Amino acid sequence: MPATDGVRILVADDDADIRDLVEFKLSQAGYTVHAVPDGMAAWDAFRADPPDLVVLDVMMPGLSGFDVLRNIRESEHREVAVLLLSAKSRDSDVDTGFAVGADDYVIKPFSPRELVHRVNGILARTRG
Amino acid sequence: MSGRHLLVAAEAAVLAGCVLLALVVIVIKVVRGQRQRRHEAALRPIRPALIEVASGEDEDGSARRALTATTGATRVAVDEGVADFLGKVRGGPADQLVEILRSHGALREAVRLLRHRSPVRRTRAALLLGLSRDRGGVPGLVEALDDHSAEVRSAAAHGLGLIGDDGSAPALLGAIAGPGGGIPAGVAAGALLELGVGIAPALREALASTDSRTRAVAAHVAGVGSFRSLLPLLRDLLAGDEDLTVREASAEAIGAMGEARDVDVLTRHTNPGEPTPLRRLCATALGRLGEPAAVPTLEQLARDPDPRLAELAATALVGLGPEGRAALAGLADTPGGATALTLARLQGALA
Amino acid sequence: MSWAAMLDALRVGLTWVMDVTSVPVIAYFLVINTSYLVLITLAALEFRSYLRQRDSAVRSLGGELTPGVSLVVPAYNEEAVIVTAVKAMLTLRYPQHEVVVVDDGSGDATFARLQEAFDLVELPRQVPADIPVRARVLGVHVPRDGRTRLQVVRKENSGRSEAINLGINAASEPLVAMIDADSILEPDALLHVAKPFADDPTRMVATGGTIRPVNGSRVVAGRLVDLQMPRGWLGRIQVVEYLRAFLLGRSGWSRMGGLILISGAFGLFRRDVVVEVGGLDPESIGEDFELVMRIHRRMRDERRDYRVQFVPEPVSWTEVPSTLGVLRNQRRRWHRGLWETLWAYRGMLFRPRYGRVGWVALPYYWLFELFAPLLELFGLIVVPLALILDVISVPFALLFLALAYGYAVLVALAAMSVEEWAFHRYDRWRDLALGVLSAVLENIGYRQLTVWWRLQGWWASLRNKKQVWGVMTRTGFDEGVG
Repeated sequence: MPATDGVRILVADDDADIRDLVEFKLSQAGYTVHAVPDGMAAWDAFRADPPDLVVLDVMMPGLSGFDVLRNIRESEHREVAVLLLSAKSRDSDVDTGFAVGADDYVIKPFSPRELVHRVNGILARTRG
Repeated sequence: MSGRHLLVAAEAAVLAGCVLLALVVIVIKVVRGQRQRRHEAALRPIRPALIEVASGEDEDGSARRALTATTGATRVAVDEGVADFLGKVRGGPADQLVEILRSHGALREAVRLLRHRSPVRRTRAALLLGLSRDRGGVPGLVEALDDHSAEVRSAAAHGLGLIGDDGSAPALLGAIAGPGGGIPAGVAAGALLELGVGIAPALREALASTDSRTRAVAAHVAGVGSFRSLLPLLRDLLAGDEDLTVREASAEAIGAMGEARDVDVLTRHTNPGEPTPLRRLCATALGRLGEPAAVPTLEQLARDPDPRLAELAATALVGLGPEGRAALAGLADTPGGATALTLARLQGALA
Repeated sequence: MSWAAMLDALRVGLTWVMDVTSVPVIAYFLVINTSYLVLITLAALEFRSYLRQRDSAVRSLGGELTPGVSLVVPAYNEEAVIVTAVKAMLTLRYPQHEVVVVDDGSGDATFARLQEAFDLVELPRQVPADIPVRARVLGVHVPRDGRTRLQVVRKENSGRSEAINLGINAASEPLVAMIDADSILEPDALLHVAKPFADDPTRMVATGGTIRPVNGSRVVAGRLVDLQMPRGWLGRIQVVEYLRAFLLGRSGWSRMGGLILISGAFGLFRRDVVVEVGGLDPESIGEDFELVMRIHRRMRDERRDYRVQFVPEPVSWTEVPSTLGVLRNQRRRWHRGLWETLWAYRGMLFRPRYGRVGWVALPYYWLFELFAPLLELFGLIVVPLALILDVISVPFALLFLALAYGYAVLVALAAMSVEEWAFHRYDRWRDLALGVLSAVLENIGYRQLTVWWRLQGWWASLRNKKQVWGVMTRTGFDEGVG
């Protein structure tokens, strides 16, 4: 289990329930979490202060999760880890996600415990 | 002049209408804002507990107890909040949420609400029963497949899929062609695929339905769910169904789960007399079938005058082992073959 | 004859004209606006059902039976926007889709930009000739990774219709949508317009999504992030216009099964049906309208069970003309296209075989869309003239005009109420207020201008009658053709 002190996570989801749930769960796991309600806010927050990991819901009005991910991968902090959240759909959605550069993908409805495991796993890999 | 009076009256009516509508626009916006705030206010005291349970952090059960013990308006808010979260989480937390609903009698109430006057309530009740994955809800939901209201029918179908009782398959298939639009084909197919292998008899019957939508759904589900016992029927549909979409769905299903003999079946429908979209689909299906016996046919098709058909046939060869790849190499002089080779190399499927 | 005598004669004549026409003309205005109200009511009913389905969290969007979509993008000298547009389209939320850009012989860096941004390589692919295309194809290019679902097809310049037809030929998915390079799509646009196909896969042949003006809003990387009312009054008035005409008029028609106009910037069609009827007609100005008419006719001629559906969800945003000159050309072109297509398909009028399209929708379009500007012009000329010559009194004239235009304001406000209730995309009070004001202002000057322009377009078409007949012979009643 990686040390979670001072590890910053940005969470973006327009659904307040999921946003608050993920923020709560990851905070309980010891991470410092900043939650925003849409893609534009996520992109602004990312540029202002790049976190260690970003959790993005794919389906958001305005800038979608894919859009924010695309922007991140084209920015100077392109190595930041990204986990995508999406409603249950066919595999091609997952393919697009990975093609655009996601590190992992969680499908809704999701198990909160599994989400934390995935986050831990990505951070262990990317932070060495 | 009565004409003049008429005009005045009409103008006054129009003016009144305008003022009224302008007010309506304002009122709608205000009410929406208020409703939102009221909902949030009712939810605020119990939301932290709700999040604790939904995220699986309620280790000592204190949040659960608090939520279960609520009464009156707060309880209503809790039940609504729980329903919202049930669509978003699964696993242990979801089970705990369902228990809260059950202890409130909300599931029993939902069965009763399936007959409520308001379609909005009926829809919500159907969704709740589905999300709770409670088998007791199946009879009510099956009945709701015939509801007057399209959204209730849709919610009922979706709910039956979530519950997963394969006994509801005949009702689902029968409801596709129901009066007033039935249920959406995609929702029906999605629900059926959650019901397991026990739906084969119902699918068999549906493949013979007089409604083309039903046949199309059955063919699609048969293929995705690998119901091999239905292959003979699917072959018949491919050969002679009056609806092109049904024939296409059958071809795809055969490609997904067919046997060696289906090389001949699919080849038959790549012949020039067949509709162009079907020919192309069958060529792709031959590739999906994965039988090396299809290589000679595909080789021939790769030289067909229809460039798309030729390219699809050549592409299909890529996945058919060493014989397929050898045949493809021989097609490098054709546009279709050359394109398939180039793409395969770009994708890393070939050296 | 003396001056006074002439005026007298004119007065008498005008009195006679007013006597004869005032009732029919008022009746006309009443009927057209009442019909709009009826359509709006039908639309509101349809919305209620649509909204309940949408809000009931039955997440069946993108689920089983969702067919693949090819986005066909005709591009002529679009170097400024093409890469952003394509990237935005590639990342739309959809299980299975591809983008087919057709470079219509651009003289600028359109292709160069695409080549650089996506690392394009040429394929020896031969594009099928499902729809006959006259221009020569210059090449097909795809990204080097072999996985990004983008095709760039280059051809000699021959116009938007041929570019689209070539794109349809090159398309590999069963559904095709035609998108302009400068259109901005909602991330879930395809999910919404494809849903009717998933719901009814054997019968649905075409769906249309709503287009709204984007002027003045904040757009980032091809996505709308903050919707606002446009800054100029011309733009604001068009917002109201689009609301009323596109969203409600079509939605109401859709409920009655008579949908005949899918706006070109966002229509989703079954590829095999479009190929069957011969694709877009390069000679026709009413491109998309004409295609939908052709589909209706073919389906009904063959007595096939089919459906065309309108999706009320806003899915596409476009820049509307912000200057009078550009607006004028657009309106002339639209009305000309309307006329030519209605004329070409006049054989469908009042024939039982064509059902509601022939008996309700088409006659309605003839009477209330085509002839409307003519009658409005008549009213505009006759009423002031009668006023000047004392044939009618000032109060009467004012009442008359107020009724004709006041009712129109009512209709526009009804449209806005429904929009606010159903979609409430314009969040700010300021935007709502501007909308209400624009609904009024539309009728003071703007509308009269469009009347004049529409008539100009119509007249221009009538003067070139030879070409019009030419169009008709090709697409009209030659059942053996195409």
